[in-house]
Amino acid sequence: MGIRPMLSSLIRNKTGPLLVALQIAVTLAIVINSLFIVVQRIETMNRDSGIDVDNVVVIDVRGFGEGFNVVDSIANDIDLISAIPGVIAATVSNHAPLTGSGSGTGLRSVPDETIDAIPAGRYQWSEKGLDALGVRLSRGRNFYPEEVNFVLPETDNGTPPSVLVTQQLADELFPDDDALGKPVYWGNMELSTIVGIIEHMHGSWVSWDNLGNVVIQPGKPAFINNRYIARVDPGRRDEIMPIIEQRLGESNLMRVVKDVRSLEEMAANSYRRDRSMAIVLATVITLLVGLTALVIVGLASFNVTQRTKQIGTRRALGARRIDIVRQFMLENWLITTTGAALGIVLTAVVAYWLETAFALPRLDWRYLPVGIVSLWVLSTLAVIEPARRAASVPPAVATRSV
Amino acid sequence: MFGYNMKLAVTSMRRNPIMTTLMVAAIAIGIGVSMTTLTVYYLMASNPIPEKSEVLFAITLDSWDPLRPFDDDYPERAPHQLTFGDAERLLQLGKGKRQTAMFESSLIIEPTNDGGLPFEATSRVATADFFEMFNVPFLHGGGWGEAADDAMEPVVVLTRQLNERLFGGENSVGRQLSMDGMLFRVVGITDTWEPTPRYFDPINGGFQNVNEMFIPFSLTRVLELGSIGSDWGWKAESNNSFEQWLNSEAVWIQYFVELVSSGERSEYVAHLDAYVNEQKRLGRFARPLNNSIHNVMEWMEYHAVVADDYRVLVGLSFLFLLVCVLSTIALTLTKFIGRKGEISLRRALGASRTTIFKQQLVEVGAIGFTGGLIGLCLAGLGLQGIKILNDAPDGLVTLDWVMVLVAIIVAIVSSVVAGIYPAWRVCQIPPAAQLKTQ
Repeated sequence: MGIRPMLSSLIRNKTGPLLVALQIAVTLAIVINSLFIVVQRIETMNRDSGIDVDNVVVIDVRGFGEGFNVVDSIANDIDLISAIPGVIAATVSNHAPLTGSGSGTGLRSVPDETIDAIPAGRYQWSEKGLDALGVRLSRGRNFYPEEVNFVLPETDNGTPPSVLVTQQLADELFPDDDALGKPVYWGNMELSTIVGIIEHMHGSWVSWDNLGNVVIQPGKPAFINNRYIARVDPGRRDEIMPIIEQRLGESNLMRVVKDVRSLEEMAANSYRRDRSMAIVLATVITLLVGLTALVIVGLASFNVTQRTKQIGTRRALGARRIDIVRQFMLENWLITTTGAALGIVLTAVVAYWLETAFALPRLDWRYLPVGIVSLWVLSTLAVIEPARRAASVPPAVATRSV
Repeated sequence: MFGYNMKLAVTSMRRNPIMTTLMVAAIAIGIGVSMTTLTVYYLMASNPIPEKSEVLFAITLDSWDPLRPFDDDYPERAPHQLTFGDAERLLQLGKGKRQTAMFESSLIIEPTNDGGLPFEATSRVATADFFEMFNVPFLHGGGWGEAADDAMEPVVVLTRQLNERLFGGENSVGRQLSMDGMLFRVVGITDTWEPTPRYFDPINGGFQNVNEMFIPFSLTRVLELGSIGSDWGWKAESNNSFEQWLNSEAVWIQYFVELVSSGERSEYVAHLDAYVNEQKRLGRFARPLNNSIHNVMEWMEYHAVVADDYRVLVGLSFLFLLVCVLSTIALTLTKFIGRKGEISLRRALGASRTTIFKQQLVEVGAIGFTGGLIGLCLAGLGLQGIKILNDAPDGLVTLDWVMVLVAIIVAIVSSVVAGIYPAWRVCQIPPAAQLKTQ
């Protein structure tokens, strides 16, 4: 049987097949756009942060009461944490990257208030800081221990003369020049000199446009709330975290150990919205594809039962089994292709809506062919079993009366 | 008649169990997915205080950098928080029916029993009016009076949860509590209060829990309370003392005012303008006059409390429901057409078109109802999933009766819509045509 008689049969009973084609079209539009969002979110979550996230521990403490000496407390705590076997390095810091809690600043390459400052995340930590996060310095030098002083509240601590910046920030500040050794100006127009360049590092707010812009000052912030960062030997984090909590808790009753958390957990928390969106959409895609496949199978099976007599007649008139299979496959293929054609238009409409109404990134067109081919494969697989059942209808059925 | 139609429907459903299951599944999944996302959206976007959302206003003053706006993306916007000094002065001037300045802080609570360890708890630092303004429910006692604000009295209102932890849930009004080295007197215990969204502080997270306790704003100086919320600054100032920090141009105080009539509103805006003009004479507020008040819903819109992601999900899941309806129509049509013989026979025996039509609709209605019920259970599961994924407060993921009703109506409407065309097609079958070929 050629394509023409089949077409005429489809056209005569056009509503059913048209509905299936429409369903396939909407399915395609949802799946392609959702899949694109899922992949984008996964890419965002898997970005290289430049930090040894898996092996870093973040500790929050807070002193209280009369006679609490914050400087002594921090010095003792850092010594205590560093002495625990398996701890590679530890520092006190104003904030920890990727946690959603941070400090932002603006830097300029010239002392001129009227030009816009380059935004950057600002950290302040000791000479151990880079090691405590596993961040790599690509050029220049780390802070010298003698550059690192306690930064006390209600005291004029001055602007530290040295800073480290990420390569990305360096490039934004000095697009045409090598930033190493150059002065940068803070909001109060005091200057610091770039002594080292960090290859790559993320700041605190994972959805910020300037996530990769980071500047680091030497210092040990000594406020009421203190945050320590420690890096441990790979694979030993979960064993060492309770030890840190216990030793710190015992060592000083004038400060509360608020939290000992892995940076991995805190970073995952920062990416929660992306992860949740990816999982919800992946579930939607799975349900949708499953449902559409089942509907194709169901309809094809029903058709086979309904058309037993017609198939029997064709077989009796000399059609081979393969011809029957071909008939069903071809019919299905026609429906799927019509659906895919409609689906391309619908996909574009949905993509346009997402892009304009929600400022989501523009759909990558390469998802279209991938989606269409997957759909063809899926609908072919769905119709194979019913088609084989159709082919097994014996020719003699035609001669029997119902 | 309905009973007979029901019987016919059940017989027909049983004859094609696979088709029937598919139809029910299609409706159930469609309802499950769309109701899950719609519920989350509906709860996020809902009015958290309908009785007062039109009379509570967040205020903004443009105290920002003369050279550039607070937010480059919205240059017309003033900073969303106030400086401590402006908040303090506006409180003194009053003018609204009620007003409160506030921020989030944290204190160390020393144990009330022997052997307990000190721990940190978060507090909202606000004025006496806070409780009345935001309709805070009380289990015991109440808020503190204005006199306590003026006298910088160390009083505290505990939430039910914190009272549970500190005093085992008993009525602790009048008890003493040592925090940050100061002895506080408990004046009230709030009942469960989880405004969703947390409309009075969308800046530090619209879907977080309420702070664990409340203490007077006037204690800020006494205890040198720092903010654990966000602060923003534009001016290079050296803040070498707490006093300098309080007098700085950094914005970190949220300010709400209650204004009942529109006359009060315009008067209040005029009052803000007068205040800022006075400050301009002192050399502050170098930007053009830009003061505004925002009611609760405007304030939530301002801070995009409902993330776009949720709108995208609602849109996509209703497309999903469309797929499910299309499936149901295709399945129903195929099934009804497959019953041509039976229908012809019934028509030949005297059944009218209307009778046949009704009977088909009862069948799809029953399928829709069953699918809708299963869909509701799926939506319940979906909401639990969303709750786990987002670590969300309970208030965000409960199906209330409105949503249950909406779900059932959507289910029945979509299945009846899906059934009308196939039923109409079936009615067109002439009584004798099918019988002839048999």
